[in-house]
Order: sequence, then C-alpha cells, then structure tokens
Amino acid sequence: MTRTTLVTVNVHGVGPEAASAPEDELFGKLAHGRYTYRIGLARLMESLRRCEIRATFFWPVFEAERCRALLERCLADGHEVAAHGLAFEDHSGLGDREDAVLEQAHARLTELTGTAPVGFRAPTGTLSLRTIPILRRLGYRYDSSFVDDDAPYALDGDGGAGMVELPVSEGLTDATHFGRRMTQSRAEAFLVEAWDALLATDGYACLTLHPRADLGVGRAARLVMVERLFDRARRQGSDFRLCRDVAAAARAGRDA
Amino acid sequence: MGAAARWPGGARTVLCVTVHVDGPSVEAGRGLNALGKHSRGRYAIRRGVRRYLDMFDRLGMPATFFVCGHDVETWPELYRDIHRAGHEVAAHGYQHEAWDLGDAEPGLLEKTHRIIADTVGEAPVGWCSPSGRKTRLTLPTLRRLGYRYDSSEKDDDLPYLLPAQDGAADFAILPNNTVSLDDYPMYVDGQALAAEVLENWVQEFDAIHGGDGYVHFTVHPKAGGGSGVPARAAAAEAFLRHAQAQPGVAILTLKALADHCLADPAAWRSARP
Repeated sequence: MTRTTLVTVNVHGVGPEAASAPEDELFGKLAHGRYTYRIGLARLMESLRRCEIRATFFWPVFEAERCRALLERCLADGHEVAAHGLAFEDHSGLGDREDAVLEQAHARLTELTGTAPVGFRAPTGTLSLRTIPILRRLGYRYDSSFVDDDAPYALDGDGGAGMVELPVSEGLTDATHFGRRMTQSRAEAFLVEAWDALLATDGYACLTLHPRADLGVGRAARLVMVERLFDRARRQGSDFRLCRDVAAAARAGRDA
Repeated sequence: MGAAARWPGGARTVLCVTVHVDGPSVEAGRGLNALGKHSRGRYAIRRGVRRYLDMFDRLGMPATFFVCGHDVETWPELYRDIHRAGHEVAAHGYQHEAWDLGDAEPGLLEKTHRIIADTVGEAPVGWCSPSGRKTRLTLPTLRRLGYRYDSSEKDDDLPYLLPAQDGAADFAILPNNTVSLDDYPMYVDGQALAAEVLENWVQEFDAIHGGDGYVHFTVHPKAGGGSGVPARAAAAEAFLRHAQAQPGVAILTLKALADHCLADPAAWRSARP
C-alpha cells in the first residue's frame, strides 16, 4: 500500500473575525490573525521549503488580496493554490447568492494566480446542497471539506459527477487541539496518533495547518514540532503530494 | 537587524515577566462579592502577590505588575510594596472590564491612572487590556495620559512602534502571548498539569531564544486558572530559573523595553524587513 500525506494549509489571517466585525475595530485578541501577515505565513512557507514539501494552500480571496507578495511566493515555491471562498462565508446560508459568490471567488483567484483553481474547501466548513453542483459547473475537480471517510471518494452521489472528495481529518488538524489550548506536547501526541493510524489504514492522511499563532502552527516552537512530524511520516514511508494530483489519481483509478 | 544589535547591552534575548494581579476587582466588575468560590482573586491579595515578590527577590529580577484600579484603592499598601521592591506598576482596567464601555471608557482609564499614580507615587506608562480587547478610543486616551506602551496585541513576536500622531509621541506595542507563554489558557482550557505547562513554556523559550529573542511571559498570582497556588508557582519559578540560566538573557520591565525601542524609532517602526 502506498502511503501519502496531503499537507494542506488554510490561509486564515483576520478574515474569520473580519467576517462579523469592521476590521478597524479588531484589536488584541480579535486580531490574532495579523500574525499570519506579519510573520506566520512566511515562516510556515520557509519551514515547508526546508523540508522540501509542496503543500496545497486554500486561499480565501479576502486573504489573497492583502497578501499578494506571499501569494506570489506560495506559487513560486511550487505549492498548489486552491479556492477557499471570498471572505469566510457560511455556504449553508448563502441561498441564491451562492452561485455569484463562488463565481466571483473563482474568477478573482484565477486572475490573481493566472491559473484556475481545481480544488475547493468550504471557508467555514459548511456547504449547501448546491455547493458541489456549482463547483462542478465551474470545472472543479475536487472538494476537501468533509470529515466522513479515511480515503478519497467519488462525489458523483453528491451532485459532483467526475469530482473527488479529499476528506479532512479533524484529529490531524492543528486548530482542533490548539483551539482548545492544549499544550504543544499534548497536541503533538494527538496529531501523531491520528496520523499514524490513518497511514496504516488506507495509506491516506490529510494534515491541515493554519499559519496563525493561536489556532495554528505559525509560532517558532510549533514549527519545530511540525518538522519533527514531517520526518516521522517520511520514516513511515509516506510521501507528500498535492491535492490536485491525488484527486486526479483517485479519479483515474476509479474510472479505469 | 540582528538580535545583538536589537537588544540592550547586546543581549541575545530579552525576557519580560508580567504579573496580571487580577484580584477581587474581577469579581466586583461582574457584580459578585469576593466570598466563597468567588474568592479566587482574593487569593492573589492574601497569598499570591507576596509569593511572587519573594520569588523575584530570590531570583533578583524585576517584573511588571498589571493592576486593576479597584484593587489598588482597596489594598494600597500591597501595591506600594510592589513599587517599593523596584517593580513596575502598570494599568489593567478599573474592575478588569472585559466588555465594551462605550463613552465611559476614557473616564475609567483616567480614573485607574490617577489611583495608581496617587497610591504608588509614580504614574503608570504601560497598559494591558484586561480582556485582550480595545476600541477606537483606547489608544488615543492612553496617549493623551502620557502612556508609552500597550501590551495587548498578539500579532508579532517582536515589539514595534506606532508612529507619532495628533501631537502625541511615538508609542510602543509590546505584544504579549496569551497562547503559550501565559498560564490561564493551558490550565483552564487545556486542562494541563503544571509540569506540562512548564514544558511548553520551555519549548517556547528555547525556540524564541534561537530566533527573535523577545520572551513576554505572563502569570496570574491568583487561584483558579492562575499560578498563585504552590504547585503552579513552583512551575513558574522553574521556568524563570531555566530562562535566567541561558546565555545572553537580559531581564527587563516592559517600561525599560519600551524606552529602549522608543529611543531608536527608525529601527523599531518596522522591526521586520
């Protein structure tokens, strides 16, 4: 069995907080996200470069607009840029606006990167029954928002004929543990147990990281831990692949 | 800018120790008396603050105490002792207001400012938000009152300056770390043992000591989620001893650090290239 880890990064700055309050009223504890812009994202990309890992970055347009230089660097480093909404919308509640929001996000991200994204992750983790069909119409090849399997599966039954789901693991997401203010060593133990077991089950592990200092791994001490975990996965025979490549392979395997 | 050029005396790392006293002001602000299970803040007054004063005396280090105006006016002698021991006394709300005060905010900031200045005989120049929140009124009011720094932001691992405005001088932002160099979150939300928290603090210190070199450490000398009680105070002391034992560590009050940065505004307006 081949073993593959998808390193995915949710590029969250102040966007989550700015979705419900004017940005010039975000200070202090409501402005943890600015760490992403000032230092966290650059540091995470340096770490990935040091470890020779290409990752899939899910970029909300809100964050891409204000981090143009970091977005350029993300592309130059060979990472995949995938879609992550406009500005942290709850897709389950967009109603008739959902087509326009997804179209606008798709067009703008395409414009900023020069390439149409083929993957999507719901910005607040929620979808409507129409999200997948709209993504399919826009040419997306995969979604990565669900937490309902240990391996990729076809989205044909969810209105995404030809598309693949690359499921996320909550146990293999930094924010699950750091959001509860676990100590770093406890978070590491949680990540290790989830990661090891996923690789041993179907050989598929989707690691999700955030560049923030509170919920994520942007802090210097935490990146030391992340690099140790990358080494551990390698020793267990895992390679690291981009979401678009895994989605294409999964589809080819199914359609063959 | 390399670390050696950055910090006073060519130090590799500066350590700032801050004590958020958070006495019965916290309960008073919530409309509670300080009795029974609501006496966690009273622990700071009865035990915790003295325990930390003794510790800093043993270790020979200065600290910055963030204090609430209501506590200072109720127990003035304790706060005079903090000041007499050579520590910095800085402002932390009147009753630890963790909510939007609307138009009343400037008046309360000024009230606490006067209480501290009149009690200890020296006006505070630093402020840390009691909840991590601020409004558009906060910094302009603090600057008008002569404050030189705020330590409520969490957006960088280095100090930085806000430029002069409206006739006010430059102003320092000395970011704090309420995620992994604080006691409350890991004890209350993370449900960690003191030994685990100590391990995490050391991991943070070591990574910062090898990098940006700014360690902003916060303890609360109260019961509940704080580090006032013996097991947790021992963890805090073990951390401070670890930090103190590393080469090239300068221990400063936040006020001293702010003045260091404000003395060279060109270098600190954008500490990162």
